[in-house]
Amino acid sequence: MPQLNSVYRHREFQDLLTLSGYERAGGWNGLKATLEMSPDDALYAFHRSGLRGRGGAGFPMGRKASFLPKDSGRPTYVVCNADESEPGTFKDREILDNNPFQLVEGVAIASYGVGCERAYIYVRGEYGHQWDVLLRAIAECRATGRLGPDAFGPGAPFDITLYRGAGAYICGEETALLESLEGKRGQPRLKPPYPAVAGLYDCPTLINNVETLAALPPIMHRGADWYAALGPEKSPGTKIFSVSGHVLKPGNYEIVMGETTLRDLIFDLAGGLRDGREFKACWPGGSSVPVLTAEHLDTPLDYESLAGAGSFLGSGGCIVMDDSGCIVRASWRLAHFYRHESCGKCTPCREGTGWLEKILGRMVHGEGRLEDLAMLESLFGRISGRTLCALADGAVAPVQSALELFRDDFERVIEQGGSPVPEPMGVINA
Amino acid sequence: MTAHEISEFLAPIRHEFADQRSLILPALRFAQEEQGWLPQEAMAAVAEATGYSQAYVESVASFYDRLYTEPVGRRVISVCTTLSCMLRGSDELLAHVAANIGTDGEGTSADGMFTLQRAECLGACDRAPCLQVDSGDQQGPLTHDDADAIIGALRADGAPTRYDR
Ligand SMILES: Cc1cc2nc3c(=O)[nH]c(=O)nc-3n(C[C@H](O)[C@H](O)[C@H](O)COP(=O)(O)O)c2cc1C
Ligand code: SF4
Ligand code: FES
Repeated sequence: MPQLNSVYRHREFQDLLTLSGYERAGGWNGLKATLEMSPDDALYAFHRSGLRGRGGAGFPMGRKASFLPKDSGRPTYVVCNADESEPGTFKDREILDNNPFQLVEGVAIASYGVGCERAYIYVRGEYGHQWDVLLRAIAECRATGRLGPDAFGPGAPFDITLYRGAGAYICGEETALLESLEGKRGQPRLKPPYPAVAGLYDCPTLINNVETLAALPPIMHRGADWYAALGPEKSPGTKIFSVSGHVLKPGNYEIVMGETTLRDLIFDLAGGLRDGREFKACWPGGSSVPVLTAEHLDTPLDYESLAGAGSFLGSGGCIVMDDSGCIVRASWRLAHFYRHESCGKCTPCREGTGWLEKILGRMVHGEGRLEDLAMLESLFGRISGRTLCALADGAVAPVQSALELFRDDFERVIEQGGSPVPEPMGVINA
Repeated sequence: MTAHEISEFLAPIRHEFADQRSLILPALRFAQEEQGWLPQEAMAAVAEATGYSQAYVESVASFYDRLYTEPVGRRVISVCTTLSCMLRGSDELLAHVAANIGTDGEGTSADGMFTLQRAECLGACDRAPCLQVDSGDQQGPLTHDDADAIIGALRADGAPTRYDR
């Protein structure tokens, strides 16, 4: 069950919060190797590595970078998505907290490939400490010339601007993020055009997640072939899973894709469950993915296998619930989240997430009727696939799958007149 | 906060944005540092410093949960109640904090010291149940005694000199 700290270099080396410490740990070798190539060769290396986007959708990073037109006559931008707000996901936070220079180096590598002279890192507003760490890292890079007029060589400038959100999950959606970065309300745009063609200020823009970009330095240092050979062909590399909920050792675990199962992740790495409790369910890729049951525990952790099991790898935020929890109450809590975070632009999402919360809420509070189950089912198709962005699909997926896999529980909650508050797990210092 | 102070804050970063509209959010965040929320005068100052209308600036501000267009307490306590935290006792933690500061669930304490709010996932589910004071560290896992200690320390500290929500 190989763990490999390729992005989480701070778990292998000390003192990565200073530039000199990062350099001692081999920092900047990836950018150095990249600058010796032509930008096209760098893009080709991204592509050959097989690295896929770690923010949720899993789109191949190199392919996305190759979509940016080279002849637009306008500046090109790289934007790093550090909005991390998907429930159950806290992997980017650990990078920002402990290994900020690896992200800076990754952003620089991607920027060299697509010809960007100014990149942006958009940090969620709540990440105050992480913001301060990044501010210090950027200041140190500027002071030492790692960023600035000659960053990529004499007369080849590159710099990074930090931008801070102010509390809105939807600003993690790439086009909403761009709107927010442009000083507007953070509401998604109609696609196409995709950001690769018309992104920030209508210019070609590459948007990637923190973990995606922080994966680049080791890839460019050790070689795309090294990375591509880790794990399955279509899902190569390492992936960080955040494990939370009813496990004894919640935390982040960076594993080689495909070589660890969901069971290994939950029961071995994350310490398993309390004595006397049984596994009930987990949302393996953040809260926007279909829920899985004990039957799926032997699924290997990679994009294809998790999709084959009926869910998604998503952001890698694995939320675990034991049999003290109630699937109806959990679904209701998630429905509340999506209702609260819907930006309100599309009617099916704005109204639909409200109805999901309301119907599940009355079940939880003992006012549900069996007809409500049919009503829920009829709602799903009227929300999914009919909206501007994927928030609405993410609201439906956990609820629809819960109803399919745990219908008996929904019926029982309705018949018994509600769902009792589960006994909280309490603080365990494992 | 005056338009002049905001302009001075923006001066070193203006060149980093191809469109000056991008300065509105940093300006709003900066303006909020003075009182911890954004009264009309602050919005007007942001509008003047950025060159956009006050109505536009307000429409942007109203979109974001952590920009406050109504007065809030000197400290804003956000208790995360999303799923991972719920499974580890966030609802009980929220109720306990409310009882300590004397609010009925979410709201501002009578002495104006605290505003308590339910937050969505704070990106610290490994520390569940957790809370955050303003935009300080995500703290957890918290027993009810831990929460009391945090609140006690905040009472002793009084108001911060600069608010970072
Ligand atoms: C509602 C919604 C919220 C999202 N939140 C995030 C987020 O917080 N962080 C992130 O990296 N991607 C998030 N995404 C995915 C982004 O839209 C985008 O796919 C991603 O930033 C691309 O980077 P990647 O290819 O490296 O994954 C979200 C998508 C949706 C629909
Ligand atoms: S799907 Fe929901 S969140 Fe996305 S744009 Fe439409 S209303 Fe906004
Ligand atoms: S669910 Fe509470 S911090 Fe993520």
